[in-house]
Amino acid sequence: MLLLLLVPAASAEEPEWRTTWDGTLYGYANSTSLRGDSVLNPGNRIARLPQNSATAEGRFNLKAGNDTLRVTLRPVLLAQDNRNAFGSQRQNEAYLSQWQVRLRASEAWSVAAGREVLNWGPAQFRSPSSPFYFDNGRSNPMRELSGVDALKLSWTPDMERTLALVRITGSGHVAQDIRRNSWLLKADRRGGDWVGGLALAHTPGQGAFLGAHGQFTASDALLLYAEASSSSRAAALQSPADVALPFSIAARSPRRTDVLAGAAWTFDNGQSLNTEYLHTGHGYRAAEEGAYFARAAASPLWAGQALAYSPPLLGRDYLHLVWQSNLMETGGYWRAMATHSFTDNGNELSGYGEIALTGHVTAFALAILPMDGARQEFSSLLRRSVTAGLKIALP
Amino acid sequence: MKSILRNLLAVLLFSVSLSAFAAPDAQSLLQHADRARGGGLPGIVWEIRLVSRDGAKVSDEQRLEVRAVDDASVAETLEPVRFKGSKLLQVGRNMWLTRPGLSKPIPISPRKRMSGQASNGDIAATNYAGDYEAQLAGEETVDGEACHVLELTAKHKRATYDRVRYWVSARREVGVKAEFYSLSGKLLKTARFDYGNTIEYEGKRIPFVSRMTIRDALIDAETTMDFGTVKVRKIPAAEFDLGQMQ
Repeated sequence: MLLLLLVPAASAEEPEWRTTWDGTLYGYANSTSLRGDSVLNPGNRIARLPQNSATAEGRFNLKAGNDTLRVTLRPVLLAQDNRNAFGSQRQNEAYLSQWQVRLRASEAWSVAAGREVLNWGPAQFRSPSSPFYFDNGRSNPMRELSGVDALKLSWTPDMERTLALVRITGSGHVAQDIRRNSWLLKADRRGGDWVGGLALAHTPGQGAFLGAHGQFTASDALLLYAEASSSSRAAALQSPADVALPFSIAARSPRRTDVLAGAAWTFDNGQSLNTEYLHTGHGYRAAEEGAYFARAAASPLWAGQALAYSPPLLGRDYLHLVWQSNLMETGGYWRAMATHSFTDNGNELSGYGEIALTGHVTAFALAILPMDGARQEFSSLLRRSVTAGLKIALP
Repeated sequence: MKSILRNLLAVLLFSVSLSAFAAPDAQSLLQHADRARGGGLPGIVWEIRLVSRDGAKVSDEQRLEVRAVDDASVAETLEPVRFKGSKLLQVGRNMWLTRPGLSKPIPISPRKRMSGQASNGDIAATNYAGDYEAQLAGEETVDGEACHVLELTAKHKRATYDRVRYWVSARREVGVKAEFYSLSGKLLKTARFDYGNTIEYEGKRIPFVSRMTIRDALIDAETTMDFGTVKVRKIPAAEFDLGQMQ
């Protein structure tokens, strides 16, 4: 009914209908050196992580539309061969990572249905202001984020304001359908050199999620930004600081606050340095994290629990640095990242680089180097991981 | 009675001749020149072919589709194909870059510029009249064409350049040449403009920019932007909303 009310009257002059497609073929191999002395995954017997993998993937964009109606599809085809000491496993997937049918009902109103990545905010390390994508794709950088299934009503009366009401009908392609029947209200304001947004989400059985994000262009070179949220987590693993006490899993964790503050400085040559500080109230204090590893070391059952139900980040306070080349350059791109956990003093270094070989072919490589010991978050599972491959732009 | 009429006529003629030789209004000139580069229109859609040369090294040609209105623009990359679908969104001084498959748009600083000598402001609609205070600084000829020389000083920090010296054709009232300066007065780059396109707006056919050639003042580098398929049309604000750019 709402759709019918919003459908604009047919105009005498039908807008031009356009269709386009493009895609990227990926071929890459990964080698991961797992920790032999891991307490969370001893001998790789619990997680059975792949030590070597080869992947062929196609990501496509199909678009059709005019000024009023637009249809977009992003199908992904993936074939992956994973190997470890226990054998090999083949994984084939074909799915719609994102899709959307959007109707522009008037200049200010639009309605959309589809699978959309509802992620926002300026932070790179994590996305505290998003109820759906806190991880921001960091746990598996080679896999792109897939959307949640949603119906969206948007009101954009001018350049300064947008209000969106979203009904989330499912978690999309991912197996766990924990987002079903959620509501999201999102409001954004844009000024001459600042942007701010608020997100209010409700999922049945969980407490309300309240998120906020903002950024300020202080000068040509300096960008300041922040994200924050207040939320509770479902199936949260409690790790008492007293090692004699067992793990417990709370259906709903106490309400906690996550805050990220960041600054980006762009140099004259276009390279930039981002510095981000994250405090996540859902993480453990140092003693709780120590007890988490101690319990995991005591029993494979607890190690399995520790792996399956741990918070998105084990610790509470992190510093994340990103130094990257000019994103606008077309010949190549690189970024170097360093993350420090103030909770367990662990560190992780990583780097990504790509270089255009021809107009269509790009070579890329990603390396992750966790440092320190088996009872520190970043280095608890692996010693290093290297991925290298090619991507070919189509058509 | 005759003498009164004669005196009146003389005063009238004198006034007319004075106005004919009076200096043109710099701000009006600028407004007119802006329109031939997309400013002051309800919205404009165009395609840009951008080629940069740095010494002997020539970068890949970029083809962009740009939608612009006032101080907002979206530039979508069409070529090279490996960047197809990348979008640069600019609303005031806020800028983001987004690409298919990216976890979310990345905010970027105005200092991150396009490939070569083109600033992000150069690919959007020109609104010098809104961004700069104009003063007439003389008359000069550029390639044999009589021009008014305007000194432009940035009104606010959103302006792409601190100071611009702008040559506006006296006959066509379009900008034909510009010099861009830093706050300290250092010449950064120069630009030349061609007007081979024509648009229809409010029943009038007006010349429209077809090429902008930017030369770096400090190094041997040049960027050429060719503007094609120019359309004037109202663009809804939602086109510049980050949350609706899927």
